[in-house]
Amino acid sequence: MEVVQILQGIISLILILGLSPLFVGLVNKQKAIYTGRAGASILQPYYELKKLMKKETINANSSSFISTIAPLINLIAVAAAAAMLPISFARPLISFEGDIILFAYMLGLARFFQVLAAMDIGSSFEGMGAAREATFAVFAEPIFFFTIGSIAFISGFTSIYDIYHSIRLDNISFVVFIIVCSISVFILAVTECSRMPVDDPNTHLELTMIHEVMILDNSGIDLFLYQYSSYIKLFIYVILEASFFYPFAVQSYTLGIIIFVVVIIILSAALAAVETVTSRFKMKNIPHYLLFATAIGILNLLIYTFTK
Amino acid sequence: MNFLTVKNGEVFYRNEIEFLNRNDFQDSVLNALTSGYRMIGLFPVDKKNPNKIVSILSDSVSSSLYIIGCEIPGNKLEFESFANQFPQTNYFECELAENFGYKPVNHPWLRPVRKQNIILGNQLYKFFNIDGDEVHQVAVGPIHAGVIEPGHFRFQCHGELVYHLEINLGYQHRGVESLMLSANPNQRIILSESIAGDTVVGHTYAHCSAIESMTDTQVNLRAQLIRSIAEELERIAMHLSGLGGIANDIGFALPAAAYGRLRTLVINSLAFLCGSRFGRGLFVYGGVRFDFNDENLKQIKGNLEIIKKDISAINDFFFSSTGALLRFENTGIVSKDFAVKIGLVGTAARSCGIELDTRIHFPYGAYRYFPVSPVTLSTGDVFARARLRALEIDESLSFISEQLENLPNGKIISDLNKLRINSGVISIVEGWRGEIVHTAFTDEEGKILQYKIKDPSFNNWYGLSLALRKTAISDFPLCNKSFDLSYAGHDL
Repeated sequence: MEVVQILQGIISLILILGLSPLFVGLVNKQKAIYTGRAGASILQPYYELKKLMKKETINANSSSFISTIAPLINLIAVAAAAAMLPISFARPLISFEGDIILFAYMLGLARFFQVLAAMDIGSSFEGMGAAREATFAVFAEPIFFFTIGSIAFISGFTSIYDIYHSIRLDNISFVVFIIVCSISVFILAVTECSRMPVDDPNTHLELTMIHEVMILDNSGIDLFLYQYSSYIKLFIYVILEASFFYPFAVQSYTLGIIIFVVVIIILSAALAAVETVTSRFKMKNIPHYLLFATAIGILNLLIYTFTK
Repeated sequence: MNFLTVKNGEVFYRNEIEFLNRNDFQDSVLNALTSGYRMIGLFPVDKKNPNKIVSILSDSVSSSLYIIGCEIPGNKLEFESFANQFPQTNYFECELAENFGYKPVNHPWLRPVRKQNIILGNQLYKFFNIDGDEVHQVAVGPIHAGVIEPGHFRFQCHGELVYHLEINLGYQHRGVESLMLSANPNQRIILSESIAGDTVVGHTYAHCSAIESMTDTQVNLRAQLIRSIAEELERIAMHLSGLGGIANDIGFALPAAAYGRLRTLVINSLAFLCGSRFGRGLFVYGGVRFDFNDENLKQIKGNLEIIKKDISAINDFFFSSTGALLRFENTGIVSKDFAVKIGLVGTAARSCGIELDTRIHFPYGAYRYFPVSPVTLSTGDVFARARLRALEIDESLSFISEQLENLPNGKIISDLNKLRINSGVISIVEGWRGEIVHTAFTDEEGKILQYKIKDPSFNNWYGLSLALRKTAISDFPLCNKSFDLSYAGHDL
């Protein structure tokens, strides 16, 4: 039994790590179609990662060892967070009471090192990007804790796997919470993964970037690590969102996987649609947007408190 | 006053210009500036003889251009700067100082225009700098993250807020003005087509009408109309491309793609006419090289129909989107007062409420017979600059459709005479970006003695600096795109 669970966990992790570039490719392809273009193949992110691996890695003269280790730490931390996520009803590789905190701060650690490395290079651009990333992270963190946290509160569990699998459709308050939570998780995903309308992943304009500006000076394997970890990060949030819908599978593995795939495709379509028809916010308005998502989480808690 | 008064494209003899002494020159120019004239040129008549300079001022009310000269003997090339009272002359004085070693006395802010390492005064130029613990500098360029022209931008920021932006250009300097003097006539047209790659028709038009005026060549009305239609096509194409760029800068993928699609139709129309999507090869001294025929007229009309049908839907979608409006409104404001003071021209000026359109105020070519209506907006923000371009597209579309229906007959090329000796001409054309001024002087053998080009970007870059004051640094790309200025046109 134990071995099977570990195997399932490993397979889940491999799936997450392997499929994450595909999701980005899927979003980009649909975005292209919506704007009337043919677009690159959905496998393009894989080709790009492969290309980056072959490129020479150059570090700025002014940078210290931080710049060298940060990309690797960043990827490992994100991968560790990915190992805590369930796919269908498989128990994730890392799962224990309270892993929700570890999950949040693994992503936090990844960001911390990325910000540190950006400041380490000493360019005014990167410093600016680091400041923005850190500022918006402050607003993004409460979203996670108020939404996932409120469900934890309601279910009484503190492990991501248990939280998700305690969701019962017969309890009407759960259904309300899930709908509300999936909105704020979507906003969280958009923010954390630097997508529209918070950040524009396709822009070439250094001065408007948040995430991209921090990795302007990276090249070769370092850039590969950063890019790959950003793909995984996006996929992590997509799975967070998809997991809300597992209860519909009623404990069947196959149904769970089908739901997983369907939700991912729907989400990629939604993300592409949002990125096509919205424009970016003014940078000073981003905190309002994030606070809105936090407010939704708080609302969840209030509903719970009053209906109890 | 002792000004020589001419119209746009009116040829004059060099000896008609009165060369005053320094004090009288200063007084006359100050007087003219005080009565609301705008400086459009300040340079020596002969490149090799910097002692004799002319100042050209324009008055859009009387549609007149005023020329006054100054002869400063000896090596001490000095005059009292006008820039303290009239900031619009600032850049012209800097240019004169940089190119000919003039020293504008009491100049408030003498800085390099194109040669960054030149020594003006007695030391290398240092950037304006804000001191303090919490302020920081952001230096951008000259090499950028995207495939755009080179330019160096120095921001003085406090957090995300920009207090001051300094723009240093000159990385595209090719010496066009000097090349114009040494080039043979055929090369000159190709040269003027290359002044700014996005204003091929505008610059070539200005150049051709300057040379045609000086050779007393009459251009047939049909040729003039073809020129105007090409110019309006260029205007539409670049406005569409600019709007697409603005949409792209705020990450608004749908309109960006839609504007891009329409732009292709417009530049293809230009290609149907002359074989080049940017209008290269269309102009020739005395007229145009290509004529409308049934086939290309049909294609162009077909394209314009599609554009007319689609543009209003896209504009409605774009300018009613809350997200876009939030980004555009009250971003990068240049007040009318500032705009007048620094002498903005073209779309940037019209979006601040200044009525200034060469096609209307200094009419030339076909616009003398078939006027266009002026479009102005008053808020001076990114919204006004974007909206104005959308409105100008409509205006240009109706101009083209009207003229395509009523093309007069006639030959399209007239024979060119010889250049008049010892004369000069000022030719102004409203390019899509604004006022393009080409000034030419000939010597006693009928060769070109001086050729001076002023792209609208020369005036407007400083407007961008002002627009950025108290604006978030993350809005810079949007403001930049809304001005849509040329690096090559400025650097020459």
